[in-house]
Amino acid sequence: MAVTGARAKSKAIAGDLELICPAGTPAALRAAVDAGAEAVYLGFRDETNARNFPGLNFSPEELATGLEYAHARNCMVFVAINTFPRAGAPEAWHRAIDCAADLGVDAVILADIGVLDYAARQHPDLRLHLSVQASASNAEAIRFYHEEFGVRRVVLPRVLTVEDIAELNSRIPVETEVFAFGGMCPMAEGRCLLSSYVTGKSPNITGVCSPASHVRYEERGSELVSRLGDFTINIFQQSDAAGYPTLCKGRFVADGRASYLFEAPTSLNVLPLLPELMAAGVSALKIEGRQRGRAYTAQVVAAFRAAIDACRRGESIPEMPQLADVTEGQRETSGAYRRAWR
Amino acid sequence: MLNSPTMTDFLNETLDSSEQGGRGAVGAGRRSMVPPFSPVLLGGLLLAPVPDLLLRPLLRAVMAAVAKQHQGMFERLGSYADTVFLVDPIDLPIRFLLQANAKQPKLTIAREADAPQATAAIRGSLLALIDLLEGRVDGDALFFSRRLLIEGDTEAVVALRNAVDGEEIHIIDDILVRAGPLARPARRAAKHLLRLTRRAGADMAMLQNALLQPAMERIEAQTAAVDHLRQSMSRGSSPRRRRAPRTLAVQE
Amino acid sequence: MMARPAPGLTLGPTLFHWDAERWRDFYFRIADEADIETVYLGEVVCAKRRPFILPHLAKVHERLKKADKDVVLSTLALIMTADELDEIRQTIADPDLIFEANDISTASLLAERRHVIGPFVNAYNEGTINYLAKRGAYRVSLPAELSLDMLEALGQTDAVKDISLEVQVFGRLPLAISARCYHARAHDLHKDGCQFVCGNDPDGLTIETLDDEPFLAINGTQTMSDTYCSLLAELPALMAAGIDKFRLWPHSCDMVQVAVLFKDVLNDTIAVEEAEARLDEIVGDVPLANGYLHGREGRLWVEAAAE
Repeated sequence: MAVTGARAKSKAIAGDLELICPAGTPAALRAAVDAGAEAVYLGFRDETNARNFPGLNFSPEELATGLEYAHARNCMVFVAINTFPRAGAPEAWHRAIDCAADLGVDAVILADIGVLDYAARQHPDLRLHLSVQASASNAEAIRFYHEEFGVRRVVLPRVLTVEDIAELNSRIPVETEVFAFGGMCPMAEGRCLLSSYVTGKSPNITGVCSPASHVRYEERGSELVSRLGDFTINIFQQSDAAGYPTLCKGRFVADGRASYLFEAPTSLNVLPLLPELMAAGVSALKIEGRQRGRAYTAQVVAAFRAAIDACRRGESIPEMPQLADVTEGQRETSGAYRRAWR
Repeated sequence: MLNSPTMTDFLNETLDSSEQGGRGAVGAGRRSMVPPFSPVLLGGLLLAPVPDLLLRPLLRAVMAAVAKQHQGMFERLGSYADTVFLVDPIDLPIRFLLQANAKQPKLTIAREADAPQATAAIRGSLLALIDLLEGRVDGDALFFSRRLLIEGDTEAVVALRNAVDGEEIHIIDDILVRAGPLARPARRAAKHLLRLTRRAGADMAMLQNALLQPAMERIEAQTAAVDHLRQSMSRGSSPRRRRAPRTLAVQE
Repeated sequence: MMARPAPGLTLGPTLFHWDAERWRDFYFRIADEADIETVYLGEVVCAKRRPFILPHLAKVHERLKKADKDVVLSTLALIMTADELDEIRQTIADPDLIFEANDISTASLLAERRHVIGPFVNAYNEGTINYLAKRGAYRVSLPAELSLDMLEALGQTDAVKDISLEVQVFGRLPLAISARCYHARAHDLHKDGCQFVCGNDPDGLTIETLDDEPFLAINGTQTMSDTYCSLLAELPALMAAGIDKFRLWPHSCDMVQVAVLFKDVLNDTIAVEEAEARLDEIVGDVPLANGYLHGREGRLWVEAAAE
């Protein structure tokens, strides 16, 4: 198996939490590496990844430069190729895998069975991670991807409690990576068509959810109205913290009552759960937010770096008030990791 | 101090003019943003009478410097390179039109008549906009906290934000890079000034908050109560389920 | 080499939490009166609902078989715990039954057995479909968001020419599944103490925006379209693209009559306009949509004449 120097070194401490950080641009990659990421994940500038936003992502040349920068500083690079190819046109996805493999990335993060099959056959030495978009939420699903394609790590869908994760880890032969901070889907990822129902653009096919092209902000008197397509997603008062109109994070009316029915505009933050997640056998923490600015990346990565290091030394986790600034709606949640969320 | 005639005049003028400019794709967003009480706001008053003639070469120089050193930004903008953005530092009496075309990037002063040709607007205090440009703050965070307002084509703004964030822009360094032997002292002076402005801004914002907070809270509580009342009235009178149009026909 | 099967209607599993007797009588009537080739049976949305239909399952199964229907047993879409997985293992233990896998874990457990891949497994392209077929899938029910262009491209690939392909053509479209129960949330309850409030809404609960526009529908942990999908006018194009099975989702409206309309259009014995007008009467106060198939927002209605 081809193991890069960066990877071999970073796994020196057994049972440790690896910090996996988002990079939407080369500048964000450098910010994440400098702030102490053990790996950054990124995508190509096309529909092959689930953050296919304008102005974001990497050309093959930028990936090559980024790899050089990261590897020189003992940091791994994972490439997300995690949308589902259109029928009859899988070439772009195959090219993305070939390119990532040729450039020597440390792993590719995949979701589609056909794409996994291609990668496993064409690049047997390429390390495969299973994207959250594959929605592998139980031991048998994970075993399937491991046995069929040699998947070595699975990014768990944000539907499991810490107890579920601990139980799962005792039954599977692969590493698990869990979301630690940032925007969160209340739905099982990769199995959600809400965005395409409302905007025609979907995470699975186009690589976007609630795309900016369909977002409008309108003023109505003293209120700010956020709209997606033809629908009002939320209405903010002058003093409210605003939110992006992600369609599952708006206020809707059920039985005559308005509420954040699916999820409030809030950020996942697992800092208080770090010791529990370590005990549950989790291998890596993933920071969400390839679409966020490099200031966000630097801030969040530094905070988690400090927290994990404190955990390593057996110290209690320091308070991180600075994270409040970058959270959506300026609110935090421990999400599905706590049963009460359901 | 807040009642000084100059200040009031300036505020009124800004509010009026943005209302007039609100017929295009980008509306009257400036109305809802109160400029922070800051040195920029005061400095802006001095800027108001400066003729465009003097500012134009400066803007051209800024744009040329950025364009020379950050070609990658234009690549990232892709199909949005020809988009016209209205950049509106709400605490300055002037606004800018930005067209980040790789061949001929343009930064010009926006006249009232120009506003409609912008397909997107970005509004915030000058310091917030500079922080955003230099990647010191996260655009989403600014927006969540309502210190940044965007209007019009949201995707274009997102593309611009991402393209700018992907570059490591240091506006003062970029401008002074060709200033020769004067560059270093000039840079030091400029940065010192910026730091002072920032600190004074924080002090003045604190002062403003202390003076205005009680009144603002009262007004907001009243507004919220009125809105709530209005909402509950309209909800109560409308049928909960109504027949949506059978066909939401679209032409293919 | 096998050929694609002849076109036919299928009836998807009931996605809503119907009263057990109502559920049983619905399928008795389908068995006795509906011209439907395959009937899918079983709980897909919520593990907690499953015990309710179990007492009637054998009887319903038998009645449908007697009426010459193919019966396929559907399984859970979101499997999160070892207990739920064990339940799946027990469910599929009988080797004589045919199952629909709605999670990749179930497909994995059914390997080497003839089975159906349900619409909750992501099968977007020939690479995936071919892989699943090699492991025993004889039919794949495709994701609702695929456009006709995509379906045509799929139908033209060699990899899928021996596989039965199914498309959802009627009813509220299942759009998302969650660990969280939105029906419970709407009633200020927790999922663990949900009191089965989802049972109050036999077709799901429409939710609206703050501007009172109908937006989506909730059905327990599932989020659905507020509109009903209807692809009556598109059936000929779908057949031409190589789709051979057309799935109707059960609703509280007259499903026997719905099946008649779709069958008549399949057989070209009724004008599409007339079928659409009659469907409109059957579904009553519900907007219809077909946007996905036309490459548009799923919620839209695109007039066939406009193309």
